[in-house]
Amino acid sequence: MKIEWTKAPMGRRTFLRGATALGAVTAVPMGFGSRAAAGTDGVLRIRAYGDTQTMDPAKILSVNEEEVMAATYNKLIQYKPGREWGWQLDAASMIEQVDPTHIKFALRDDIGFTNGFGAMTAEDVKFSFERVIDPATEATNKPDMGTLSHVEVTGEREGTIVLKDPFAPLWSIALPYQTGNIVSKKAVEAAGGIIGTDPVAESGPYLRDSWSPKSKTVLKRNPDWKGDAPAWDTIEILPIDDENTAEIAFEAGEIDFTRVSLGSVERYRGGVPNGGTLIENPSLYYVWLGMNMDHPKLQNKKLRQAIQHAIDVPSILQAAYFGAVEPSTGIIAPGLAGNRKTGRIPPEANFEKAAALLAESGETNVSLTLDVLNKTTFATTAQIIQATLAQIGISVEINLLESGAFWASGDNENLQLVLNRYSMTPDPYYATSWFTTEQAGIWNWERHKNPEYDALHEAAFRETDTAKRDEMYQQAQSIMEESGAYRFITHEATPVIHSADVVPALRPDGLSLLRYFDKA
Amino acid sequence: MLSYTLKRFALAALILVVAVTVMFLMIRAVPGNPVEIMLGPRATPELQAKLTSELALDQPMWRQLALFYGGLLRGDLGVDVFSGRSVTDIVFEQLPYTLHLIFLSIGWSAILGVAIGAYAAAHPNTLADRVVATLSVSFVAAPAFVVALLSLLLFAVYLRWFPAIGAGEGFWDVLYHLVLPAFAMGLSWVGYVARLVRASMLEVLGESHIRTARAFGLSERRIIGAYALRIAILPVVTVIGVGMGFLLSGAVFTEIVFARPGLGKLVIDSITTRNYPIVMGAVLVSTGLFVVSTALADIINAVLDPRARTEN
Repeated sequence: MKIEWTKAPMGRRTFLRGATALGAVTAVPMGFGSRAAAGTDGVLRIRAYGDTQTMDPAKILSVNEEEVMAATYNKLIQYKPGREWGWQLDAASMIEQVDPTHIKFALRDDIGFTNGFGAMTAEDVKFSFERVIDPATEATNKPDMGTLSHVEVTGEREGTIVLKDPFAPLWSIALPYQTGNIVSKKAVEAAGGIIGTDPVAESGPYLRDSWSPKSKTVLKRNPDWKGDAPAWDTIEILPIDDENTAEIAFEAGEIDFTRVSLGSVERYRGGVPNGGTLIENPSLYYVWLGMNMDHPKLQNKKLRQAIQHAIDVPSILQAAYFGAVEPSTGIIAPGLAGNRKTGRIPPEANFEKAAALLAESGETNVSLTLDVLNKTTFATTAQIIQATLAQIGISVEINLLESGAFWASGDNENLQLVLNRYSMTPDPYYATSWFTTEQAGIWNWERHKNPEYDALHEAAFRETDTAKRDEMYQQAQSIMEESGAYRFITHEATPVIHSADVVPALRPDGLSLLRYFDKA
Repeated sequence: MLSYTLKRFALAALILVVAVTVMFLMIRAVPGNPVEIMLGPRATPELQAKLTSELALDQPMWRQLALFYGGLLRGDLGVDVFSGRSVTDIVFEQLPYTLHLIFLSIGWSAILGVAIGAYAAAHPNTLADRVVATLSVSFVAAPAFVVALLSLLLFAVYLRWFPAIGAGEGFWDVLYHLVLPAFAMGLSWVGYVARLVRASMLEVLGESHIRTARAFGLSERRIIGAYALRIAILPVVTVIGVGMGFLLSGAVFTEIVFARPGLGKLVIDSITTRNYPIVMGAVLVSTGLFVVSTALADIINAVLDPRARTEN
């Protein structure tokens, strides 16, 4: 057969141009589109809202560091994942409160430190805890250790924690949280007493493999870990400030787990991309409107109470929080001892009662300023407050402040109304500590001074009976509300989404416990 | 030329000193106690006092400034109060991420902008020229954050061609991670450069030496490529020099949207936590980059067009 070649009507340049373009078009989806979805390549990728700054448990600055340390160090006890606050044994094989000021513990015999620093001993526990309260350490979280006196070593792996006074938060903060991380005495001493951005020795189910500042922290499974094997070989923690960016990254399949914005909750309730799941937990934050009781314009209690009753909390939650959160009854979140099921003032505004209280106060032509942090949520909340107070004839001028100026408000004597939000650790004593007489003008911006409240705060953290503590903290919040200086708004919420490949392990406030994350 | 270069760098140094001094004073003037913000609510008064002393915040402003410049002359930008790491290390660790982003953004936008601007100028008042004009204005008008978010949604979420976040590891991965951020940052510069080149070239093409070249029978391609473009590109060099500064500030947003590390993000994080040593270190380096890039642009201009030396 004779084959005849005919010249194609295409020049060399045209052919090259066409071939290059075709190659590019086909290469793009083939090469770039084949990115492995997160989770499917054996790597768990989670988002943190910020980067880690230190690996020293005594100098933890945010929950970001604790997330890493809780996986790479051990504590005597760890928080239990789930909807209820509780703890479980970790490095301790036994721990028992023998009297209000003595806690006996025994360590497991199969935990060792990396870098050749040997087995974990009671001496390490003593060193770690006493290091936090030693003034020379300059530990920023020293108050979390409360009334710790010292740790007695009674055996290689046995000891007794000795308190100066009873301290109930020991079980909810000191031991299972930041200060509870146990470091190696030998390793820290070998490093001159300083733990910087790199761990000197680790002992947890994961080891910190690498840290690229502001980019990525990588945890790898600890090959010498003798406890329950962690599910993931590798965990990558990616610091992403912006929740919207994190949501896009999740939808692009690049992260498996992230907290999402409240504004996105409604959308995710309708379905999470990539077969993912939405989990909604209340957070420990508390948001309230405070009134400076020392300010000449706000010294009239009836006026303050009128303001309390004129603020419509459901409207705020709908407008500023997209209906994704619940109203609060005080400063102590649900799930903690002291949380009130109902407050004395219902969330809904009662304008008739508010107007009557205003009339009783004898105040007329009331105009006030409201200081607010310049965040959209707070600005919207302030506008609702402004609108509802206008209904009883109180005019409000909103001052939007940059964070530096806002957080310097403690000693601002001209402060009148202020919309505020504090964070929390999982013990009620942390919340009540800011509203004592001693804190007036520091973190107690309302200048709330009540001896009965102060006494309750002091007595409650020494009380080891949970039921009694619950009652005392409820009473303390009632005193706050009764003063007229507080209108409680919400504890916000921690909505998170996770991919179909992941079974997250969360504290009741939605924060991650990485060592317990499982595979689906 | 040497004299011009030395003068230009001396001016750059002066600008740098003034800018850094003003920034130093402005940062100190921002309300809020940095020590309280740095250490958090639970820090003891003793710890607060110690950090105040370490940062010299208990000293008069002039002394704080003198201490800062003293440290600077010794090459010491101080230490990060949180991590205890050297500020120099931290800043120079983040700088490459931002430089990669800026160079790629300005690089692709300049090449494309010059090409389409030159093409439009060579075909004035044609359909192609009108298309280029429309696209250029649209690119200039499109806010970088809109481009960033839309490109993220299209290319990262829907098509999954490019990564949405991070900076990557290794040359090709880094380049891969730079595609979307550089596209978002550079798009408006494409339009800007194209408009600039077109206008500049039309002006040059009307000049007498171009008419002479045409009279000698040189091809239009040669006239544009060898004669017109060389002069028309001069304003682009200046714009790119100044553009480096704008892109440095633009990098803040891009780094946040794409969750990339970088100098911009470092500055923002440090300002919110009142981390003075880091803020000053980062500001110093970014201001230095801006000043040096504008000086270099002037010098390149002077090399390409000797008239610039005498005019300056």
